[in-house]
Formats: sequence, C-alpha cells, structure tokens
Amino acid sequence: MNRPYAKYLRAGSAMIGGLALGLLATAISLNSGYGFNPLRAGPWTAWPAVGGADIDPYARAVIARSGEAPLGRDQGLVFIATDDSSGAPLDGACEYRIVDPMPAARFWTLSLATPMGALIDNPTGRYGFSSVDILRREGGAFEIAVARNARAGNWLSPGEARRFVVALRLYDTPLDTGARADPDSFPRIVKLTCA
Amino acid sequence: MRLTLPDRFFDYLPWALATLFVAGIVHIVSVLLTPAVAPRDAYARILAAVGDAPANRLVALPPMAPGVDLLPFEDPALAEAACVYDLSKGLLRVTTNADGEDYLALSFHALAGRIFHAITDRAAIKGKIDIVIGDARQMDALQAATDEAPPQEVRLVAPTKRGFVLVRSLAKRPSDQARARERLTTVVCESVETPKE
Repeated sequence: MNRPYAKYLRAGSAMIGGLALGLLATAISLNSGYGFNPLRAGPWTAWPAVGGADIDPYARAVIARSGEAPLGRDQGLVFIATDDSSGAPLDGACEYRIVDPMPAARFWTLSLATPMGALIDNPTGRYGFSSVDILRREGGAFEIAVARNARAGNWLSPGEARRFVVALRLYDTPLDTGARADPDSFPRIVKLTCA
Repeated sequence: MRLTLPDRFFDYLPWALATLFVAGIVHIVSVLLTPAVAPRDAYARILAAVGDAPANRLVALPPMAPGVDLLPFEDPALAEAACVYDLSKGLLRVTTNADGEDYLALSFHALAGRIFHAITDRAAIKGKIDIVIGDARQMDALQAATDEAPPQEVRLVAPTKRGFVLVRSLAKRPSDQARARERLTTVVCESVETPKE
C-alpha cells in the first residue's frame, strides 16, 4: 500500500463507512421505542419522560418523525401493549380477553389501534372503553373481549387488521413513574383461540 | 506465549477508529436534526388541521375516525382543540373554568416536540385555569407592568416563539362526545398586548 492514492481511498471509505454506520445507528435507535427509561409492567410499556420538559433527544426525534403530540406527564400515562401476557405478538386473527385489575387513576380508557397509532375501522364503530362506560360484573370486575366476531359484554373488534396494539391510558394517575410498576396491578391480556 | 497480531491489524486500526468516530458524529447530528427537519411532526399536522385560522385562536380539531390521520396514538375518547400560537403577535392567555368533574387537559407544546407545561382541570385554582405565556422579554415587561399577579394566574416562559396548545376533553361515554366538544368551547385562547415599559 505504498501507492500515493491509497490513503485517499482509505479516508474516503472511512467517511462513507462512518456515514452509513451512523445513519444505521440512528435508524435502529429511533425504531426501538421512545428514548430511555421505559416503564414496563407485564405486556404494557409507557415512556413517562416523553411527556415531560426533560424529554431526551432520542424521544424528541421519534415523536417528531411519527407526528405524535404526547400526553403531558402530569396529565396521565399511556401504556401500549404489542404482545399478550405470554409474550406472543397480538394477532388480529386471534381472540383475546383483557381482564382485571386496573391501576389507580381518575379515569382510564382502553382502546385498540394499528401499530402506527391510527384507529382501526371495524363494524361496531367502537374503538375503546372507558372506566365509566364499561360493563362490570358484581363487585366491579370487568372483562373485555377482543375478537373479530361479536361477543357478549364488552367487545372490541380489531376489524380486518392483522396486527394491532392495545393502548391503556390512565388519566390523572398517582402511579409513581420513578419506581418499578407492579405487573400484578395491570390488566392481563390472555390469548384464547386463533382462527 | 506472546500475543501476535498481524501487521495488517495496526495498518487498519486507525482507519477503523476514524470510521467509528465519523459514525458517532453522524449519529448524534442526525438524531439532533430529526426534529428540525421532520416534515410531518405534530406542529405541522396541527397547523394543517387548523387551516388558515388566525394564530392565538382556539380551533376544534375534527373528530377522530379511521382514515382521519391527524395525530397518531390519540385516545378516540377525547375531543380535542388546538391553539397555534405565535408570540411575535403578543402574549398568549389561555383561560377556562374547571368544574372538577370532567377531565380537561391543557398541554403547551414548543416546537421540536417539547411539552413545557401540562395540567388538567384538577390543577385549577379556585375553579379557574388562567395561564399566560410569552418569551422572556415579554414576561419581564408583564412582570414590571403589574405589581402583583392575580393569584390564579400562572405565568410561563415559552422556550420557542411558536408552538401550540392542545386541549383535550374526555368523553366518558361515546354519547358524551357532543358534551365533551362543547366543553372545548369554554376554553378561551387570546392574544394579549405586551405591556409597554
């Protein structure tokens, strides 16, 4: 490698390699959640820092790209589940049951969305339930059925979507985001049958 | 036993380090630049949704429905309104009454994805929410002009001159949507003249 252009060649490939590597690292980090310090509880994940003034640059880049306007930290917390309680990804062809308990909050809502956060068109015209309008059994326990075809009681339909996520929103919740969340205080998503 | 490395290793080592160094800089710069260059961030989406309504005015956002691609990951149970502000036209004052029964949330978004203030109706003082935002100069002028702020008034320095205030009102049942939308109209967004010194 004593040819005079060898150094230029190497410098050039270091530049191009570095550019590719750096952009790859950015793409990977922006596709893996919203920055740092997620709050996980069973299948549920929230990113409390996204709604605060101390939002980190990664989370800012992610929400700028997706176009989200997150909920403020003092307003509530949004938990997203992409998997069921056993860890298998949620599948529109399967039937699920979402059961008690629910963390403390002034109000909560539970709704379905596409993995990109859009509402799913479905024959019922209903996208979610709230702590007020859900049907409860005696004693206050509840159960939500997620299935394509009609079910008795609280029924949400993922329509024709193959992949979907469940969003649990706790408004005015006293949940401590600094501590680890107790998975037993969050609803479980149980897979029943698959078509 | 001596560790033997081929000469080629030392030949390539500086170039490998240079590659990593460049990669690190490219990564940091691209992450920091994304909010500035993202074409469809929340501000751009809301600006498009309010159309040519004047700045510093509250505009109700269309109801959420499949195919209405306004803001992703919004709760379908919410009725929403936005107030795009431009502090070069004066201070912005947001006022509303809170009855403490229905969830009403106000979040103040600066450009590039930062929420600098967020409250719900529970934080109302004596049943009122009264927030004045401005840049540092306007706030100094306001502070100098008024000896003492009214007790329920909250004054905030906005990190950027432009941004938006998002008002969310929760419809506890689907049939409450109309009532939740009505609650949005009780929120007033207005420009206030910056006091002269």
